[in-house]
Amino acid sequence: MTSEPNESTGVSFKSAASVTLKRVVRFMSFRVLMLLVTIVIGVYTTILIANMGGYVDTIMRNNIRETTIMKVAAMTANKPIAPEARQKMVGDLIRLEEKRLGLDTPFVVRSFRYLFNALKLDLGRAQYMVSDSGSRTVRLILLERLPATLLLMGSSQLILFFSSVFLALMLSRSYGSFWDKLVITLSPTSAAPPWFYGIFFILIFAAIFKILPFGGMVSAPPPETTIGYSLDVLKHLILPASSLIISSFFLSIYTWRTFFLIYSSEDYVDMAKAKGLAPRDIERRYILRPTLPTIITNFSLLVIGLWTGATITETVFLWPGLGRTIYRAIGYYDTAVIVGSTIIFAYLLAFTVFLLDFIYALVDPRVKVGGGNN
Amino acid sequence: MAENNYLLDIQDLKLHFRTTKGTVQAVDGVNFQLKPNQAVVVVGESGCGKTSLAKAVLRLLPRNVEQYSGKVYLDDIETMALEDEDYRKRIRWVKMSLVPQAAMNSLNPVLRVGDQVAEPMMVHYGVKKEEAMQQAIKMFQHVGVPVDFINRYAFELSGGMRQRVALAMSLVTAPALVMLDEPTSALDVLTQANIFNLLKRIKSEMATSFVLITHDIATSSELADRVAVMYAGQIVEVSDAFHFFKEPRHPYSAKLMASVPKLRGTAEPDFITGQPPSLINPPTGCRFAARCPRRFAKCADEPPTVIIGEDLVKCWLYV
Repeated sequence: MTSEPNESTGVSFKSAASVTLKRVVRFMSFRVLMLLVTIVIGVYTTILIANMGGYVDTIMRNNIRETTIMKVAAMTANKPIAPEARQKMVGDLIRLEEKRLGLDTPFVVRSFRYLFNALKLDLGRAQYMVSDSGSRTVRLILLERLPATLLLMGSSQLILFFSSVFLALMLSRSYGSFWDKLVITLSPTSAAPPWFYGIFFILIFAAIFKILPFGGMVSAPPPETTIGYSLDVLKHLILPASSLIISSFFLSIYTWRTFFLIYSSEDYVDMAKAKGLAPRDIERRYILRPTLPTIITNFSLLVIGLWTGATITETVFLWPGLGRTIYRAIGYYDTAVIVGSTIIFAYLLAFTVFLLDFIYALVDPRVKVGGGNN
Repeated sequence: MAENNYLLDIQDLKLHFRTTKGTVQAVDGVNFQLKPNQAVVVVGESGCGKTSLAKAVLRLLPRNVEQYSGKVYLDDIETMALEDEDYRKRIRWVKMSLVPQAAMNSLNPVLRVGDQVAEPMMVHYGVKKEEAMQQAIKMFQHVGVPVDFINRYAFELSGGMRQRVALAMSLVTAPALVMLDEPTSALDVLTQANIFNLLKRIKSEMATSFVLITHDIATSSELADRVAVMYAGQIVEVSDAFHFFKEPRHPYSAKLMASVPKLRGTAEPDFITGQPPSLINPPTGCRFAARCPRRFAKCADEPPTVIIGEDLVKCWLYV
């Protein structure tokens, strides 16, 4: 605990507590400031990249010009109209469309406007994309896809995380056993991405055995009852979720097993064994407990990672998730959607990092919030 | 074995490790006995297998064990024959506890030291937490750690205090035998002296037996009833402490004693030429022969263990 060096020795407990409070508050404000700066830089960089540093404007202008000329040509095909009037019509329509998309203000000005709106979580309206319900509001476009992504990513990543941590802990206690060697041998299977397994799963279970659907999230027409609907979604979930799990399963176990192996050769683990503690107590209190900060970090990063979705796997399985939405947004140069999903991710990440500082202090007595600044 | 009155009886204990270079014979046929309320000091150079001996007796084996055999009787229980779970319940911390080499790393950094000291009471005697903590407080007082340290974490204690906590932990279930693996080698001289005085007091008050593993011959003489000298994975001499410090029998023991600096002596501290042999391919015959000033033709053969009264020495000179 840090205290002012010239404080009198007779300080009461109350002033010590206020010193602690002051330190924590100072640390927190500094931390929030730093995270905000990071978010601003990150989001602005995303805006620049998504717009190709302003080049997207040129692409869009050419695009508008081309479509407008075609449109006017089609409109005036059977009418006698002077070329000047047609030119004027084209010019007017282009100006109108550019104004609608905000291209009449310079990109630099607009980039900062995007930034401030994004920071205010005012995600604005999409330029081309439309939500399934017909809205151009970015918030709706993203929210509409969120449940599907959370269902797929949430189920697969949580199963993956907990099963691999649990199995890894068991393997680390039986180093060199058959199962241990098997996992090590199989860990290179994770070199193949999830959609690779997805394609094979579709081939085997959908095309050959015809027991599971090829893709999508629900049958057409969807079942009427709630239970029927849930079961149907579950049936559609099996293949994409298991290809996401399988593709990281063995590597994940291998990584955690090595991690636990390092920590289970600590002297205090040997000591716990010498003390005659039951293996379960040793695992819980002497291996898991000291490594809790790392496990929590991994878990919380995984949870916010759910937000990004799994683009290609979703595409292969026609799963209506966020990953595909963002992929389509990139294809359309629809910056509002790209920036919208980025800013939410950035805020989630910053909030998690901020929270982790306090969680560390809770689970590890060696860590003090804002400590070490003496 | 029931008729003898040994507390600990080790017979032909072997612990070999598998390495990429070959088999390391860290403990190779060790025999020795210990009576109740005795303290035996195991001395020897670094790398002669002292710590491996402790690990073998305590069954704290690393992953690369190749051979682990022999007989260890503790309180007339053949511990080597016990299943792991039986061994854990009947031997670990009930009959035999350990004070580790580096108390720094031997305490869990995220649990309060009081909880760690009380833990064996709850595990082995099934007592309630409050009762176990009472016992822990008693032990803290016994080893001279302020009672309010019970709620501290290991990183908040000094090295000496941590060592005392480790000692309190080893005594909390009042086991008959405490193994001390170089308990003071990381501490300053004053703290060392304190801890040895403490050990002496505990030995007389609690009638505990000690196996003290050390390379600090001078300090260990404080506590020792018996001295066992280890060389290259074998015990080469076991003697009464009084006799050993006056006139050690084995040439290696003599050299070891001569290497201890003396305050007012004309003799320079002696040293032993050469290196201890590699334990991967130890020499046949007497393992000390290459460095021995008194070697002769017979040393090429494996020396017998000669029993002199209660003592024993593994050397051709005494045949």
